[in-house]
Amino acid sequence: MPGFLNLLRRRRDRLEHDLDRELRYHVERRIRDLIESGLSEPEARREANLEFGGLPQVQEAVREEWISRWLDALLRDVHYAMRSLSKSWGFALAAGGVLALAIGASVAIFSVVSTVLLQPLPYPGAERIVSIETLFTNTGQSSQMASGPDFLDWQARNDVFEKMAAYYGGDDWPAVVGGRAMFANYRFVSADFFEVFGQTAFAGRLLTGQDVPPAGAGPTAAVVAYPWAVTHFGSADAAIGKTLGREGSPAVIVGVAAPGFRYPGAADFWLPFNPEPPPQASAAQIEAGRANYIYQVAGKLKPGIPFTRAEAQMRAIGDNLAREHAENRVKSVTLVPLQDRLTGSVRMTLWALLGAVGVLWLIACANIANLLLARATGRTHEIALRAALGAGRGRVARQLLTESCVLAGAAGLAGLLLASMLMQGIVALSPGNLPRIADVRMDATVLLFAFALSLASTLLFGLAPALHASRLNLSDALKGSGSKLTAPAAGARLRAGLVVAEVALSVILLVTAGLLVRSLLALQHVDLGFTKDRVLVAYTEYAVENEAEIPARIRFYADVLDRLRAAPGVSAAAGAAYIGMGLEPRTPRDYWVEGRPEGRAGERLQAEFHAVTEDYFKTLEIPLLAGRDFARTDTQGSPQVVIINESLARAAFPGESPIGKRLRTGTSLRAPWMEIIGVVGDARWQDPSQPAQQVIFAASNQGFGNSPSILARTSLDEASLVTTIRRLLNDANPTVPVKFKTMEELFDDTLAYPRFRTQVIGLFASVATVLAAVGIFSVLAFLVGQRTRELAIRRALGAQAADVIRFIVGQGLRLVAIGFVLGLAGALAVARLLTGLLYEIGPWDAVTYLGTIAVLGSAALLATLLPAIRATTITPTVVLRQE
Amino acid sequence: MLILQVLSLEAAHGYGIAQRLQQISREAVHVNQGSLYPALHRLEQKRWLKSAWRRSETGREAKFYELTQAGRKQLARERADWERLTEAVELIFNEGA
Repeated sequence: MPGFLNLLRRRRDRLEHDLDRELRYHVERRIRDLIESGLSEPEARREANLEFGGLPQVQEAVREEWISRWLDALLRDVHYAMRSLSKSWGFALAAGGVLALAIGASVAIFSVVSTVLLQPLPYPGAERIVSIETLFTNTGQSSQMASGPDFLDWQARNDVFEKMAAYYGGDDWPAVVGGRAMFANYRFVSADFFEVFGQTAFAGRLLTGQDVPPAGAGPTAAVVAYPWAVTHFGSADAAIGKTLGREGSPAVIVGVAAPGFRYPGAADFWLPFNPEPPPQASAAQIEAGRANYIYQVAGKLKPGIPFTRAEAQMRAIGDNLAREHAENRVKSVTLVPLQDRLTGSVRMTLWALLGAVGVLWLIACANIANLLLARATGRTHEIALRAALGAGRGRVARQLLTESCVLAGAAGLAGLLLASMLMQGIVALSPGNLPRIADVRMDATVLLFAFALSLASTLLFGLAPALHASRLNLSDALKGSGSKLTAPAAGARLRAGLVVAEVALSVILLVTAGLLVRSLLALQHVDLGFTKDRVLVAYTEYAVENEAEIPARIRFYADVLDRLRAAPGVSAAAGAAYIGMGLEPRTPRDYWVEGRPEGRAGERLQAEFHAVTEDYFKTLEIPLLAGRDFARTDTQGSPQVVIINESLARAAFPGESPIGKRLRTGTSLRAPWMEIIGVVGDARWQDPSQPAQQVIFAASNQGFGNSPSILARTSLDEASLVTTIRRLLNDANPTVPVKFKTMEELFDDTLAYPRFRTQVIGLFASVATVLAAVGIFSVLAFLVGQRTRELAIRRALGAQAADVIRFIVGQGLRLVAIGFVLGLAGALAVARLLTGLLYEIGPWDAVTYLGTIAVLGSAALLATLLPAIRATTITPTVVLRQE
Repeated sequence: MLILQVLSLEAAHGYGIAQRLQQISREAVHVNQGSLYPALHRLEQKRWLKSAWRRSETGREAKFYELTQAGRKQLARERADWERLTEAVELIFNEGA
């Protein structure tokens, strides 16, 4: 594009320069002649200029000639193009429709990619905001989570960040507003959080250093998100001064954030916290805190500091900490631009979609090029006539290009309309947590993209007929118009090439779609290690402020569970503090087995830690392999017990029974030894594509974990339990908020991305197959039309209908076969790029390739058979007599 | 048409064409010399003239115009039209006389 503009600019400069030289020559010649005829030089100059009529005016007049001539030709071309397109409106509609579809789909996908991946985050100086993460140097893996002491060191030792902030929090925590309990998304943030994101308050003020409570104390101030303020208080201003949270430790709302600001995630409110260790903490406790990963850290680079320099400095700080602290032995620091961090998981899906829609668009262009080419060949006579009447080759080519341009322009406009509809479809289809999906709309970038796409389409499919026409040999074309014995060779080869390209590209799309479908199926049938159907999950929160309230919470849930188990249709019920389905994996904790060496950081065994009640394994139908389940007799007063999963048993106790052994987790200083009482089967909690991790289950009834969610297995429909549970909770404590989901729904959510990309690419692949089949059909139908005479002669000479079919189908299938070979080669290359999106299906999956060949092959066969059968209806006597 | 006629004899540059026009018409046609150039460019774009930079009689480079094949045909056509018109006018005048 810029090259083209440069070319235009250079051409114009040259024209201007020549004109200037030409006119100057005239005037100077005149002056010389006038001087020779006796005038003085000033007089001559005056006279010459007078005669000439002013250099700039003449230049302007000449320029007008250039432009009006150019405009004139353009207008005539456009007019002619519209007339000739409207004469064959069926063709125009078909070609325009296909193109509008392809452009519409491309623009819709591009607008999603543009908003989600390309537009900077909507924060001032967003390009300078980075996520500061822990790098584990022994595994090379990085984690977004950082420990408190590490964060404080990072903050104190760097000079590349303007501000740095730590934050943590969770979704669906209980909040009490005006005596009513509800779920809310809490974020605890350190002092400079809002400055990192360059935010200003919509009402009131944002949190500052003065709001940060003393180390170890709870918050007293809060900032709420704009929509939350409006929902719960009517307006932003009304929220100021209201209190949040339970009685005894209320936080006062001091401000409302700007309407668009919800970071991180969909925050409802932000509370200040102090990352400093409490004053009474011992050095050993602080040191142990370095292994406690609870915060995410973001920072804003100072202006002008390159990312690489900041990264090098933070890495050096991390390496120094690794030398200074035993706990940091295998840790360092890594930086990730915040935008990459937020879009990291969807990047692959979106680029795959954009690639797929690009291939679809190429197929559409090839298809239309074919149609246009067939049309141009049909118009050979007309074009030759125009050329004979004096139209230059360039002129004729330009006319055909204008026709393509008009077509692409109209299709581009229709495509934009279609895109805005498709966009709504994509937004509706997309996973709910796709970042910024709600912001997707048509903007200047998208319009520019649509324009560029239309222009590129014109060039792609318009050049073929234009070149074809400009190569036309006049006398041949005019003479040949009578006898259609053979098709012009060059045009035929080009058309064949286009069909081959269409088939090849369709193969790539079909293979991609096939691989994705097969992985999705594999994912849907993964053995999760538990039975997910007929389980209802009730998310509840019984808020406690301090450890003294925990027994009341334990009693509350024990009571509710007992009543629930007695309810009709409930076969089992349990509580679990953490329902992992669809969530990020939990950060594993170090654990120690009694009687074994402490081990150094990075070399210890690690496990996830879940708190559950009795009957949890029964409810989810996870097999108990050894020992016993938790019981009501395991209380806060009795010795602490744990159940481990098979993976942990295999890793820590190979060849021996773990029952009766003891282990402990967390900081090795305080934690009590816990006796292993049971071993259960592995289960895939978060993501069905990830193998099970080592897990330690502790008993909720012994005081571990937050409020459990209630899981109930039923022999009836899950929905029938909703009212039962709601009533039970309401009877026990009306302030406890509750939300319901079935385990099936949670599982479905984990497949949202694979399903989304499979649906969209599958749709593209079907459209591509249809387009390719239409392409094959139109080329062969055209071939039959062109060779009517040849076929008639063959029939007259004794060829049977079967011979004719074999001939035509053979012609078609030869093209298809070449397309297949090229397409399969391309698909293998593309599939290698896709491995990150595949599950248990290799890029060489034979079923997919055979399926593709079967689907496209039968479509192609159908497309070749129809024209072949038509060819058999050619009656020699009729055709030959027409001559 | 006058320009085409002048150029049908030999290639010339703009100044030369202006001089010739004045000479041939014996100063009867005295156009503003500048207005010659838009006309030249128009004729060139219609492909009736082609141009090239050549050394002029004074030794400097000048843009020379000459007739193309299409230009020759056009001249013939215009001349024929003109002749038909003058003939017709003449006939009318003679009739009236």
